[in-house]
Amino acid sequence: MIFIRLASATLRAQARYRASLLVDALSALAGNGLEFVALALTFDRFGSLAGWSMGQVAFLWGLTEIAFGSMDMLFGGFDPAVFGQHIRRGTLDMYLLRPVNLIAQIFASDIMLRRLGRIAQGALVFAYANHVLALAWTPAKLLYLPVVLVSAVLFYGALFIAGATASFWTVQGLEVVNVFTYGGTALNSYPLPIFDRWLRRFFTFVIPTAVVVYYPALYFFDLPDPLGLPGWVSFLAPAVGLGALGMSLLVFKWGLRHYTSTGA
Amino acid sequence: MNAYLALARASLARQFRYRGANLAGLITNFFFGVIRVSVMVALYNANPAAAPAGYDLAKAVTYLACAQAIIGWVALWGWWDLVRALKGGEVVADLQRPIDFFGLWAAQDFGRAIAQLFLRAIPIMLAFALVYPLVGPADIGQLLIFILSFALAWFLSFTWRFLFSILGFWVTDGTGFARLAIFSATFFTGFLMPLSLFPDALAGVLRWLPFAGMVATPLDVFSNALRGPEALVAVAVQAFWALALYALAQATFTAGVRRLTTQGG
Amino acid sequence: MTQPIIALENLTKTFRVALKPEGRSLPWARTWKTVTAVDAISLAIGRGEVVGYLGPNGAGKSTTIKMMTGILTPTAGTLRVAGRVPWRERRQHVAGIGVVFGQRNTLWWDLPVQESLDLLRHVYRVPPARFAENLTRFRALLDLDEFRFKPARDLSLGQLMRANLAAALMHDPGLLFLDEPTIGLDVVAKDRIRAFIREINRERGVTVLLTTHDLSDIEQLCERVIVIDHGRTRYDGALSELVERYGGDRALQVDFADDYAEVAVEGATLESREGRRAVFRFGRGVTAAALIGRLSERYTLADLTVREPDIEDTLRRMY
Repeated sequence: MIFIRLASATLRAQARYRASLLVDALSALAGNGLEFVALALTFDRFGSLAGWSMGQVAFLWGLTEIAFGSMDMLFGGFDPAVFGQHIRRGTLDMYLLRPVNLIAQIFASDIMLRRLGRIAQGALVFAYANHVLALAWTPAKLLYLPVVLVSAVLFYGALFIAGATASFWTVQGLEVVNVFTYGGTALNSYPLPIFDRWLRRFFTFVIPTAVVVYYPALYFFDLPDPLGLPGWVSFLAPAVGLGALGMSLLVFKWGLRHYTSTGA
Repeated sequence: MNAYLALARASLARQFRYRGANLAGLITNFFFGVIRVSVMVALYNANPAAAPAGYDLAKAVTYLACAQAIIGWVALWGWWDLVRALKGGEVVADLQRPIDFFGLWAAQDFGRAIAQLFLRAIPIMLAFALVYPLVGPADIGQLLIFILSFALAWFLSFTWRFLFSILGFWVTDGTGFARLAIFSATFFTGFLMPLSLFPDALAGVLRWLPFAGMVATPLDVFSNALRGPEALVAVAVQAFWALALYALAQATFTAGVRRLTTQGG
Repeated sequence: MTQPIIALENLTKTFRVALKPEGRSLPWARTWKTVTAVDAISLAIGRGEVVGYLGPNGAGKSTTIKMMTGILTPTAGTLRVAGRVPWRERRQHVAGIGVVFGQRNTLWWDLPVQESLDLLRHVYRVPPARFAENLTRFRALLDLDEFRFKPARDLSLGQLMRANLAAALMHDPGLLFLDEPTIGLDVVAKDRIRAFIREINRERGVTVLLTTHDLSDIEQLCERVIVIDHGRTRYDGALSELVERYGGDRALQVDFADDYAEVAVEGATLESREGRRAVFRFGRGVTAAALIGRLSERYTLADLTVREPDIEDTLRRMY
């Protein structure tokens, strides 16, 4: 399959620079890891966060970081900053000149191995969470965990694709997209009730990032929602992930039509 | 002196050109600040008595607001101009100018920092002041110490960035080092959490390292966490590291130029 | 001309452009104006032709090329390439064309050239036997073996262009778009590229549409040229006729055998003089033979050269 061939070319190209790949991955591991350490050290003093223990927050944090890191690796071509450069440098035009599905080409061309650093960091934090929490894993929960992970990846990916779409129109101002992508993720790393009502509502109903991580976490912890949403919201993650991805791809195609009619 | 001033002014003007990008950055900085403050408020609410004596929520929130504001001033998220110039070889032209190399780049970075002060730092502080109760320097003395400490923070951060950038004299691509330096700096500078809330032993060590002077010291002075003699000691530590890093930067630079000239680039 | 491979009819493209450059203003605060980049162009290009597509910067050249390659959709008019509407059947369309933009590289930057070519075999689904044949041929014509196993990033500009040409032709396209294929290359490298283009046109009947600022490219490769300016066709026809019609004066360079105080000849004007060498300009009404006759009656001549007006000069007169 052509996608696999293109993707493997991308990986082979990165493997040629092992040293810099390693430095990049390690600095991501260290950087994001220290962020968690800073939280943990401060947390230790106060003991809890909106009734959540350090282990529970670490669970959220780890899950979010694994999902976001994986998304960042797999959807690297749609990273709004990267995608904007592809437009300006004419790489997108080059993709358009090849008889291969455009979206497949974008996916295949920027698989970022260095994101493994962030994924590893998330995995370590998640492992720590499971160590201290001693959760009662039922078969259903064990089955649902990978589903949640994939849903979160798809959801974050949808945010990247939507951000990339914006770069068909503007270069400057694109940093606002970070509020939804990186900001939405940062928000996912903490229990939702600590945020103001408008933030909670925005990230539950408008850009439902809370539905893909926080609400599923409530299910894993067997906790009711202190904000009063019914228990089945915890199971909306796959629908939200898939729905968001589908919508973002539609929006992207619309943006592409704009691009091919203006040349940007 | 005029040359440095002209360089600084040009670089300041360049920053002002991109209004849309600056507004976007402002919104992003503010948003992340809100998340961090929300975490802090929740921690204090959980156990107000756990905070160190005298370090109340207002101080902690002010610290975090200032941390968001100072990002642009000290270029916390990286500064690639010199790394790129070294990689692309434009540095050779700079070396031939009748102007001190460190001074040349410092002037340009100072212009950039001043622009960031008006475009990011001040607007962000105003935005936070509207939403959260903040504290400011308690008296005029404290304010003066803050200004000094704030200025030193820029100088310290610049020499530090200069130092890791000129590693590019030795390696073909200094980006990896630069990235590592940034990631680690966010923790050691006290950007992520107020140093006062870290375990005392760790905070004690961090306060004596050069990194605290880039972010934590001016923030603690602004929020009155460090007062009077304590504040002066902290500023003296900043000044010490500023001189030490400057000397180190000059020595490294001289060695780098020697390498460049003997190897012919 | 049998069925043309490219057919444009009243092809038009308009853009809305911001009056202030991006970066200076916020998106919603911009004012716009409409610019017509391509203004009702009609033309047809037959199979096997090598056509020079010329015009000053901003004339609408690259906009037209982008529409013909399927990257851009037109505002009005019709466009068919090999019977297809490029932007409607993008994938089928691009499978049948080859594109080389001199300023851009289509190879995988960090991978050896050979690996890029192998990838393109799969991208374009070239049968292995055909691929091997083409590879052998291009290795010979473009001397690919010199750098075949080096990554693209380590190639010189000339090598990169050769590699990209091979990459653009591996799938046997019937139509090749070349945008500034010799830009930035030295004379030897340019000659090699030109020889290759001639060869594949002769050998395989590939239609070539060439845009360039290097008019030697045109002079050496194209029999037909199309000149556009302000989005409209200014000339479409034989290169020789273009020179004839818009061409300026020819020049006669004379080296005298003796030092003459003054040199003059009827029917030509003295353009420059330096020592024993003089350059005269003369229009279409006079033949070079007549001038030479008149000169040799009056002076002793050592050497003579007649120079045709070059195309650069001709174009400058058109714009």
